[in-house]
Amino acid sequence: MEIRKKIDKILGSTLAFIMAVMVINVLWQVFTRFIVGTPSSFTDELARYLMIWVGVLGAAYISGKRMHVAIDLIPRKLSEAKQAKLKIFVNILIIIFCLAALVIGGFRLVYITYVLEQYSPALQIPLALVYLVIPISGLLIIFYKISDILNKQLF
Amino acid sequence: MEYIPVIILVLSFVSLLLIGVPVAWSIAISSLLTMMVSIPTLPALTTVSQRIGTGLDSFALLAIPFFVLSGQLMNKGGIAHRLIAFAKTLVGALPGGLALINVISAMLMGAIAGSAMASASAMGSILGPEMEKEGYSKEFGAAVNITSSTIGLVIPPSNVLIVYSLASGGVSIAALFLAGYIPGILTGLFLMIVASFWAKKKKYKVGKRSSIKDVVKTFIAAFPSLMLLVVVIGGIVTGIFTATEASAIAVLYTLVLAFWYKEITVKSLPQIFLDSCGTTAIVMLLIGASMSMSWIMSYENIPQDISTLLLGISDNPIVVLLIINLLLLFVGIFMDMTPAVLIFTPIFLPIITKLGMDPVQFGIVMVLNLCIGLCTPPVGSVLFVGVGIANTTIEKVVKPLLPLFVSMIIALFLVTYFPELSLWLPRLFDL
Amino acid sequence: NTLQDKKVIKLAHGLDMSHPVHKAMVFMAQDLEKRSNGTMAVEIYPNQQLGTERQALELLQIGSLDMTKVSAAVMENFSPNMKVFGLPFLFRDRAHIFNVLDGDIGKELLDGGQKYWLKGLGYYDSGSRSFYTKEKPVESPEDLKGLKIRVMESITAMNMVNSLGGSPTPISWGELYTSLQQGVVDGAENNPPSFYLSRHYEVCKFYSLDEHTSVPDVLIMGTHLWNDLNEQQQKWVQTSVDLSVAHQRELWAKAEQEALDAVKKAGVQVINPDKSKFQKKVANMYEGYKDENEIYNLINRIQKVE
Ligand code: NA
Ligand code: NA
Repeated sequence: MEIRKKIDKILGSTLAFIMAVMVINVLWQVFTRFIVGTPSSFTDELARYLMIWVGVLGAAYISGKRMHVAIDLIPRKLSEAKQAKLKIFVNILIIIFCLAALVIGGFRLVYITYVLEQYSPALQIPLALVYLVIPISGLLIIFYKISDILNKQLF
Repeated sequence: MEYIPVIILVLSFVSLLLIGVPVAWSIAISSLLTMMVSIPTLPALTTVSQRIGTGLDSFALLAIPFFVLSGQLMNKGGIAHRLIAFAKTLVGALPGGLALINVISAMLMGAIAGSAMASASAMGSILGPEMEKEGYSKEFGAAVNITSSTIGLVIPPSNVLIVYSLASGGVSIAALFLAGYIPGILTGLFLMIVASFWAKKKKYKVGKRSSIKDVVKTFIAAFPSLMLLVVVIGGIVTGIFTATEASAIAVLYTLVLAFWYKEITVKSLPQIFLDSCGTTAIVMLLIGASMSMSWIMSYENIPQDISTLLLGISDNPIVVLLIINLLLLFVGIFMDMTPAVLIFTPIFLPIITKLGMDPVQFGIVMVLNLCIGLCTPPVGSVLFVGVGIANTTIEKVVKPLLPLFVSMIIALFLVTYFPELSLWLPRLFDL
Repeated sequence: NTLQDKKVIKLAHGLDMSHPVHKAMVFMAQDLEKRSNGTMAVEIYPNQQLGTERQALELLQIGSLDMTKVSAAVMENFSPNMKVFGLPFLFRDRAHIFNVLDGDIGKELLDGGQKYWLKGLGYYDSGSRSFYTKEKPVESPEDLKGLKIRVMESITAMNMVNSLGGSPTPISWGELYTSLQQGVVDGAENNPPSFYLSRHYEVCKFYSLDEHTSVPDVLIMGTHLWNDLNEQQQKWVQTSVDLSVAHQRELWAKAEQEALDAVKKAGVQVINPDKSKFQKKVANMYEGYKDENEIYNLINRIQKVE
């Protein structure tokens, strides 16, 4: 539980920080174009990449907080013991998906963009860095789901 | 037609949903399973990742986190409260007064920002808590918010209509924009009538008529908050910033105002930012996952195949238009708006022009139709935003959504079978 | 049996079906099917159905898509030497462009992509890009002073508008119509068919044919598939592509003329400014590449082509 709290904290501050940078970045874009008159060349791209980070890393954050939108029609009709079993099964499905698509698929995406030396048009940062958030988030979600199962925190 | 991909997609998606897998993961997992039918495993896994990541790679999507954030700041900073107090003195004596305010402001917001998700996130976070305080159910508030936010896509300016113009090979954007006003306002009126009846039936509190003195007093208190609308709308209209950038300006403005009212402190800011991230992430994950689903549907030509199958049934114009509408309504259940417009426009345009329908009118019909799809469960980006922000669940929202849907569908059929509703205004301006 | 052996190539791109490049690809698909006696086919996904140009290139590398068409401006982020095409006034005239693209340099740049798992097959003509503005005509670079001009997300394009005295503003193509309408930007630049098909002429009534850049479109196949094809199949594909490239140049010339006629009819004032004034302003950009050996060599070689 100690580790989980620590991860929660790091994840939370990272997200709040990225959000703040996003706001400042877009304000800077308006400022440079309208007040200074020489539009910034990188803000649009930076905003989009930060968006990817907030969305994908945020997915891990909400998994940790069990904040997902789900339709619970059938599970609620079952006995409590069966519901718990079903929840464990659902969590295992999510773990398998995250391992396959987000960790393996995501890492392959990072690898491809890394070895093929892809850089972003305006900022010239490696695309691998942008996509790196996908396997990271996948690993975090797997961690949260395993911890949920082990600690029987299923609802 | 290839049946295997369709069967796998629908079967796996429905079963995952039923056993309680969260919607976003159900969408993503069923898309992956469908991909694995015709794409080798490793590339399929990578493609899902790429779709989820690049699905968020859009500047326009920024409006969502920013309007969520400014909504939070408005609530915590005492701005929303002052605005609502003023609005209540105006329409508080009508049944469902706050719901009417929600419809009108969501339409306005959606109309100006040209994004239904931005509107749903802004209005949901500002009005939602206030409506709850007044005794409205969360679900009713969310349903009103979800449906009315989409109307802004029909009322210009609208990015979706521009997408339609591109996909159609150049229907006039100016004509499309003019054509959208009457159908959009008509649908909004329908929603207001239904919301009003619903509120009356549920016996939601109706306020007393306010005195002129109260109106003036609350207006003065709300004046700095009302100026936010002036700044945002004025800035967009005069070209100082784009609709997406306006959302960041709204954050700045509400932040300054909230500090001025001394209702928030610097210390409370990180938590407010983090809360907005959480709400945003729920929506973003759903959007990213839907991108995988739309992608594999296009890849397997599912929309085209279904169209060919169904359009062979009849060549009576009224029936064909009915089939097209039902088909789009069905597709809207699963697919997001932009890919649907891009895929179906080239399929349907030759058919409807042969029937003698004006492509401008068809653009409005199609967008209005897909607006309904944005709020139909289980997959709909505006539905996701509305439900996520109201902190409720999809199945609970369904009940209050139903009558609102019905009114939208009635509006859709009026617009389909009465061309004048869309064409009168553009013709007035010779477009 | 033949149905099972059929090699179906999936090709996705971002243009709509009335575009000359789409038509050329349909021509290529039909030719390949005939040439291979029905053993090969191309399935085309238009309209960004499977993603934007840069996403499609990634899908080629990932291996879930076989072919795509992108602007060389997008390709330069994957295969850096392609950025030479973004230089303003690199070519003297149409004949010069085609001689370069059809010659050794063109072939070299197409093959250069293989290092990045992207095999270039051919260039489709994309004409030349020119400025269009909302308030006043651009007769010389001085008229660009203080104007916010939308550019593609490319360093070269931004440098060019800067050198000409305008303020380069990157805005996504999808947001451009409303941005022009509301005055977030004062103008943009593109070739005549794009100016026409995007309907930007409804807002911008001045089109100055300074023809500053000629960035071709590139047809690309992922090396995943290319290396998987046998020699005979590769030859069929290349022949069909070459034939469609020739066919597309005719289609393009026609589309360009039609687009210009159409925008004129819609009340757009088409201006033919003195190009040399623009050329002088951007001359210094060439010196900026002195440190980048490969690009600098390419520039010199291109200038020497007859
Ligand atoms: Na709108
Ligand atoms: Na839907």
